[in-house]
Amino acid sequence: MKSNRFAAATALVAVGALALAACSGPDRSADPTTTGGTGEETANSSITIAWDAPLNSLNTNSNNGSATQNAIVQFLLDDLFYTYDSETLETIPNPGFGTIEKVSDSPLQVKYTYADGVAWSDGTPVDVADLVLDWAATSGNFNTIDIEEAMDDEGNLVDVGADQVAFNSADPAAQLIEDFPEISEDGKSVTFTYSKEFADWQYTFDGHTVPAHIVGKRALGVEDPAEAKTAVIEAIENKDNASLAKLAQVWNSDFNFTSLPSEPELYLSNGAYILTDYVENQYLTLKANPDYTGDHKAAIENVTIRYIEDSQAQVTALENGEVDYIGPQASADVKVALEALGDQVETHFGVEGTYEHVDLVFENDGPFDPASYDGDEETAKAVRKAFLLSIPRQDIVDNLIIPSNPDAAVRNSQILLPGSADYDQMVAENGSSEYPDTGDVDAAAALLDEAGVETPIDVRLAFNADNPRRVSQFALIQDAAQSAGFNVIDASAPAAEWGTLLATQQDQYDASLFGWQSTSTAVTESDANFRTGAINNFGKYSSDEVDRLLDDLQVEIDPAKQLELQIAVEKELWEDAFGITIFQFPAVQAWKPTLQGVRASTISPTIFNEFWNWSIATA
Amino acid sequence: MLRFISRRLGMGALILLISSFLMYLLVNVSIRPMEDLEQSTARNKEQLIADRIEQLDLNTNVVIRYFKWLGNFFTGDFGVAWRSSQSVNDQLGSAMISTLQLVSAAAVLAIFLGVAVGIISALRQYTTFDYLITFLSFLLYSLPAFWVAVLLKRWGALRFNDFLRDPALTALAIAGISAALGIVWMLALGGALKRRLINFVGAGTVTALVLFYLQATNWWTSPKIDPVLIAVLGSGVAVATTLLSTGLRNRRSLGTAFSAVALGLALYVPMQYLLYYVQMNWWIITGLALVALASGAGLGRLWGGPDWRQSARTGAITAFGVAALIFLDQVMSYWGQYLAHPTISNRPIATVGDRTPNLVQSVQEADKFWLGTIDQYTHLLLPTVALMLISFASYTRYARSSMLEVLNQDYIRTARAKGLTERTVIMRHGFRNSLIPLATIVPLDIVALFGGAIITEQVFGRPGMGQMFIKSLHNAEIEPIMAYLMVTALLAVLANIIADLIYAALDPRIRVTA
Repeated sequence: MKSNRFAAATALVAVGALALAACSGPDRSADPTTTGGTGEETANSSITIAWDAPLNSLNTNSNNGSATQNAIVQFLLDDLFYTYDSETLETIPNPGFGTIEKVSDSPLQVKYTYADGVAWSDGTPVDVADLVLDWAATSGNFNTIDIEEAMDDEGNLVDVGADQVAFNSADPAAQLIEDFPEISEDGKSVTFTYSKEFADWQYTFDGHTVPAHIVGKRALGVEDPAEAKTAVIEAIENKDNASLAKLAQVWNSDFNFTSLPSEPELYLSNGAYILTDYVENQYLTLKANPDYTGDHKAAIENVTIRYIEDSQAQVTALENGEVDYIGPQASADVKVALEALGDQVETHFGVEGTYEHVDLVFENDGPFDPASYDGDEETAKAVRKAFLLSIPRQDIVDNLIIPSNPDAAVRNSQILLPGSADYDQMVAENGSSEYPDTGDVDAAAALLDEAGVETPIDVRLAFNADNPRRVSQFALIQDAAQSAGFNVIDASAPAAEWGTLLATQQDQYDASLFGWQSTSTAVTESDANFRTGAINNFGKYSSDEVDRLLDDLQVEIDPAKQLELQIAVEKELWEDAFGITIFQFPAVQAWKPTLQGVRASTISPTIFNEFWNWSIATA
Repeated sequence: MLRFISRRLGMGALILLISSFLMYLLVNVSIRPMEDLEQSTARNKEQLIADRIEQLDLNTNVVIRYFKWLGNFFTGDFGVAWRSSQSVNDQLGSAMISTLQLVSAAAVLAIFLGVAVGIISALRQYTTFDYLITFLSFLLYSLPAFWVAVLLKRWGALRFNDFLRDPALTALAIAGISAALGIVWMLALGGALKRRLINFVGAGTVTALVLFYLQATNWWTSPKIDPVLIAVLGSGVAVATTLLSTGLRNRRSLGTAFSAVALGLALYVPMQYLLYYVQMNWWIITGLALVALASGAGLGRLWGGPDWRQSARTGAITAFGVAALIFLDQVMSYWGQYLAHPTISNRPIATVGDRTPNLVQSVQEADKFWLGTIDQYTHLLLPTVALMLISFASYTRYARSSMLEVLNQDYIRTARAKGLTERTVIMRHGFRNSLIPLATIVPLDIVALFGGAIITEQVFGRPGMGQMFIKSLHNAEIEPIMAYLMVTALLAVLANIIADLIYAALDPRIRVTA
């Protein structure tokens, strides 16, 4: 009986269920989205790109906002006066946005002209008000107080009085423009006059600005865009500190955000794309700007930037189709993982802007200081040359860099990036041929012998002990230099102390191993590395000749002569055995084979460069 | 009791204070806010350095900076992450929600599965099943998280997505899976040779049939639980719940369970309309779940009897189970649409992030909730499994040993001696008491998961607490690091107090005295 009741109940349930199954729920087949009809076009013109750090500011000209993760987004959003060629790093003018023109050499006058029809995505034209505000802000010439004293420990400008101006930026180039510029009638062109000649005048303003009418509106409460622009220009021209103070506050902080702001005016753009969505720490979406009239037209309708910090995770996401294009941090592991994907992806190995090098200390009574040899310059130079000669640069590249970048090569210029237009000429003429890539231990030993110094010579090599690659380099250098007659001693410091050691404690080391990062091709960029007493000249190198050449270079406007001077500087450096360059940091990019036209550049905006040439092949 | 709690809270506060000081010093030593500037060749490097020193107050002694930080902390202000100039309080809020999502699912699943397997393992002590589980749990326990994550991505996402392109299992694969599952069930259920054989063949056949069914109905790409399956599975839930909760002999209880299933089936079609036409969100879903629980309990009351409370309990659990099946069915009905969406293009299981960009924005209002839920699920799946596998292993061990200890107690022998059924002995006298030590481990374990999901979050790119910590460490931002450390330290202190209180509440032999 027990089982009968059970069976009956089960049967009842089953029959009921079947009856119910015959009825159906609401009919969803009519949904337009279920058919996916509109989806396919979007899929064909969409691309997802992985990047490691999320955007935090759209004002890349402020000290706070100048970071690569911001520059890449702004590169897609805003047009520029010029871009870089990915391979040669030569600047390419962009007349569709505007032109930069030198109108006079002495005094140096540069005229910026915006092309017709260039406009912000709210319809307001881009004009000189934007550029003049940018100049006022980045020059620091309008600041009435020292920016450093005005900030609290969280970086907020607090003790700024109502009429104190404190733009958070200081570009030495813009600083050289002291007088208010000459603005044309139509507001489309502006001529800046430099207070002295300046070699890198063409890099002073690249065209990235924040919209002046929005800054004016938010700071001064002027609603009408044209009036707001006028108000901004007038405030700058009349040095109206009360208004400038408000402008500075808006300029400094209003364009900083980590998710889509509620006010669209904060993310206006004037270039190929407009910002449509930004989810904190997750992704950022861009759509082609329908009103864009310039030459760098978006080739792909939708661009999504996904924030993935982990390099391996980027590779897996590429494999799984979650992203289409990655530029992860290069390492041997990433290379192996990418190679395992075979023809599922296209891979390109290249270099990035940072280069590894060894610098020697000239003033610490160490082995490279003439003072150690009773002021005998020649002996000290011979010892320096011998040490640099004994560094096995090719071995270092073969063992540590080739696994990440099969095309890696020794770098032989102190100033120019490998691959840049004049690099080959520089290497041929700068005297670096005296130091073969492989090093020359025998020649080094002979030099020491000739100089008559007692061997082995103790050399304390400083480096960041928490960087495994540098630890390996130290081992290779120590090994090779030993046979030349140097006893290389580990003078490394943990990461937390390394910076202080390098910059201030030259009595603790004789040679240092670290990297410098190039962010542009400006000729004055490396000035601080070589000039007597300059901030990046940690080895306390001092040469009157180099200082004089650098002075000339600062004010040399002719590109051909600039190169001549750069070569002359390098000749001195290599002859004086200032130090030696080893390799360029490896970079890697990988993308789905359907994506075409990819060419990443060495310096920012790296993988986003030449986005207007991208296309997606229809399979 | 009150004195005990206040004393423990006071101690906790003191520990927090001291540890915050030590942590501040240690973090200060381990970060390098100037690192990027040291290698900079920017033309205004000098000014940038001066700015940063001023901004971060680096010329001030670290101890003084600590007290400044502490002052802000007491006013509830965690400060600003200087690199992104973002308020740490905001950052912390969104990070905690993300981690909570990840950790709660993993913790619940790990506890549920870990305890169940651990108990069975204890009941089958020194059998092949026991050794197998012991081996497996030690294996899982010793696996490094990053490696588990990589394996899961390879097989759970990449290979599984490949499989979905043409979802067909070979006959050999079906046979293999069926045999393996048959063996596991055979070992878990134990018994004499004949019973083992029956279990093996039975479980193996059921598995094979299920796989064939999935294959034949193209279940992988258009999964569904139609009313027939809900009836079958619901009946299973009803029987299992009754079995464990009151025993099948309790007819009123069994009746309650089955009427809950019938009620669920009767409401199946109306629910389809409700779920489709009402714009869903998690509040409504939670409300519906509560309604299900209440109506299940109500059915128990209607069946009456002196022990209606037991029936109500059974009814509530069963009704919840059936409601969950209906919800799942509804979610599954959107699977095809999800797969076909251009942002997914038939590769549903994600390896990174917590949502698919632009998915929810591009669908109809009515579908947003359901597709969003699927999307969250496909992103949560792998990190949850990764976390679960590791804590599952430890729960298995804890549950097994505490169950074994309880089973050796005198009162178990007494219970058996007075003729109680084995179910009553195990479930009422054994199982409940074996949970007491677990109750003290769970809070601590959840806190450990909360703060310790760093690697999992990093590898799967989830913007939770762990990633906030790593990112801030990388960016040399001391404020968010301190916020992370303070939150985890606070939770650890609280979890310890809660564990003690739970212990005292559950075990009458323990008394909290100050």
